[in-house]
Amino acid sequence: MRELLYKEEHVRFREAFKEFLSREIIPFYDQWEKEGIIPRAAWNKMGDHGYLCPWVEEEFGGAGLGLEYSFIITEEMAYAGVYGVMASLHSDIVAPYIHAFGNYEQKKRWLPGCVSGDIILAVAMTEPDAGSDLSSIRTTAVKDGESYIINGEKVFISNAMLANLVVVACKTGVGESTSHKDISLICVEEGSPGFSRGRNLEKTGWHSQDTGELIFSDCQVPASNLLGEEGEGFYYMMEKLQQERLVSALMSQATAEAAFDMSIDYHKKRRNLSHAQEEMPIDSAGLVDMATDIEIGRTFIDCLMYDHIMGSDILKRVSMAKWWMSDLANRVVSRCMELYGDSGYLEDFQIARYFRDVRAHPIYAGTNEIMKRIISRILDL
Amino acid sequence: MDFEFTSEQIDIQKAALEFAKGEFDQDAALEYDKNQQFPQSIWKKACELGFVGVHYPETYGGQGCGLLENALIAEVFCQQDSGIGIALALSDFGSEMILRHGSEHQKKRVLPSVSQGKGLVTLAFLEEGHCGALLATTARKTHDGFTINGTKSFVTLGSIANAMIVVCQTRLDSPHAHSTFILEGTHNGMEVSSMGEKLGMRMIPVDRVSFSNVGVPGENAIGHEDTGFHQLQEFFDEMRIETSAMGVGIAQGALNRAREYSKKREQFGKAIISFDVIRNKLVDMYMETEMARLITYKAAWSFDKGKPDSRAVLMAKAIASKTAYRVTYEAVQIHGGYGYMTEGHIEHFYRDAKALELFLETGQIQKNLLADQIAGRKG
Repeated sequence: MRELLYKEEHVRFREAFKEFLSREIIPFYDQWEKEGIIPRAAWNKMGDHGYLCPWVEEEFGGAGLGLEYSFIITEEMAYAGVYGVMASLHSDIVAPYIHAFGNYEQKKRWLPGCVSGDIILAVAMTEPDAGSDLSSIRTTAVKDGESYIINGEKVFISNAMLANLVVVACKTGVGESTSHKDISLICVEEGSPGFSRGRNLEKTGWHSQDTGELIFSDCQVPASNLLGEEGEGFYYMMEKLQQERLVSALMSQATAEAAFDMSIDYHKKRRNLSHAQEEMPIDSAGLVDMATDIEIGRTFIDCLMYDHIMGSDILKRVSMAKWWMSDLANRVVSRCMELYGDSGYLEDFQIARYFRDVRAHPIYAGTNEIMKRIISRILDL
Repeated sequence: MDFEFTSEQIDIQKAALEFAKGEFDQDAALEYDKNQQFPQSIWKKACELGFVGVHYPETYGGQGCGLLENALIAEVFCQQDSGIGIALALSDFGSEMILRHGSEHQKKRVLPSVSQGKGLVTLAFLEEGHCGALLATTARKTHDGFTINGTKSFVTLGSIANAMIVVCQTRLDSPHAHSTFILEGTHNGMEVSSMGEKLGMRMIPVDRVSFSNVGVPGENAIGHEDTGFHQLQEFFDEMRIETSAMGVGIAQGALNRAREYSKKREQFGKAIISFDVIRNKLVDMYMETEMARLITYKAAWSFDKGKPDSRAVLMAKAIASKTAYRVTYEAVQIHGGYGYMTEGHIEHFYRDAKALELFLETGQIQKNLLADQIAGRKG
């Protein structure tokens, strides 16, 4: 499978990216976690080296590479545990909205900045009262001549503090209707009148990832900031959520792999130092169970990445992968922490941060309960 | 067979819940957690009302209750808030070694000050990298006492405790020849340094304590020389039960919050508690918590009867700590995005719960001890 996905140039790209991470990101990451934000300069460095939106065509400033390159970036960042620089959200979740549904002018105007890191992206769907149930969003956008006037509040938005452009899901229909046909996607740029940022929220993990509130109070944007057609937003989101779930599943899988390897390494080092194997009980069969699950997960995710690149419909399987792998990552991290004894609970150990970080995976990008709802509908249960 | 509490036990439970509801401010709990601060004023009040050291006899400042009553208080406190609950439950950590094995003088000196909130006590027993062989921390006999050398790790409350019980190797020819000593206040040659931030249990500092030729008078030794290993094992049984109760409380608190949230939170036009997926989760959480509670009470009951059921004790710790983890995990999940945010008032339960699976011994070591029990040898 991996031979189908990755050729020699991919391997070289991966090596170069790993080297970039160890030079430009990893050494500063602890500091950024403390500060609760990634410096903009780090995003620009990612952009300068071609690690943001590498799939964007040269015409729009990109390198025109395949999606596999994005997967390599996502995977390596998860292996390194540097989720906070949410390149995958920017490159593979939000930018595709502009790319797929934007017109030529919009693409020309925004995509080059997405590639360079000058424009950091966010997508705003969730509201205080609309999480899993997307169709119940209340943020409205009303046409007023050549503008939209947006009112509403979004919450738990990744990149909320840094974003220069936010793709906002708004109701463009009239009244209190909750039809799927009332939702539109409108781009709100930093500096638009009436657009402000709320709090950068404190959370279990992902401390350097700015997750916050966005407030639209008679926010005025040009009507030309609409992506695609009015009223099609819900369907656009459904279409793009497939890739979002694939990326989420991949992050979980990679985390499970990294956490497992790291913990086994730690255990072996400790065992060799103590020269007392019999004194360090280890549930080897339980660890083998996990290693097996991880291997099964890897086969599954590689297959999904390949099929997705080839354009297949992977909705059912990717929904399965998203819930199963985020669950796997949590199981693995929690169980592996025991190999560290009490030390695993200390923040100085990467496993502790993994423990806090991976708890987000079963929640974001559609909760695991929503994944199961989708699957049960497909199975007609 | 009688599953009823005595009226005294019901009163204690009620009083503890009332106190916790009144004094454990939700936002203050988040602040203590964030700032890694021991909840000093709440602890003082809990002591004033007699909730700490309830299992000490009245002569030593307690209420003359059993371990079950102490466990009930820990459960209720953890139910109200995992962080504050753990902090209060560990404020007398190790004092039972004095209670069970100390001299009259030691008991009179230390226990009342702990129960009255004059000082915290802790136990230094762990060493980094230590697994089974001789302890690296030694106590060498001198003409009027002992000299302690070595370093202890993962000492809870190390930097703020007034009294510290230290487990030392007193003879090198026998791995289990340990003795325990009470150290009060500061000593020349004793150094305390933080082991850094933790992912949970953040109100309790965890420190490294090193001893360099620290002299202790002979009268500070607890019980007979070289019996420290036995004292520690006995204390572990007692502490495992209290830890189980903490786990039951954390699980119950998390599931109460999840239940209330799921009644309030509406998606797809109705409260999420009406969805099968949430209902099934809540049922599992209830069942697991109740099972953990039953084995915990059974263990506590057997301890108070004077014949601790070692299997029940080990099972309680394993089951309750795992339950706390699983139930808090699901409680976070039911809260959705809010579950991951500090202000959702549930995620710290999840971080705190994980500590119980590592505290005293990890699940695997517990399983090994249980396997020894089941196989019929004493480990």
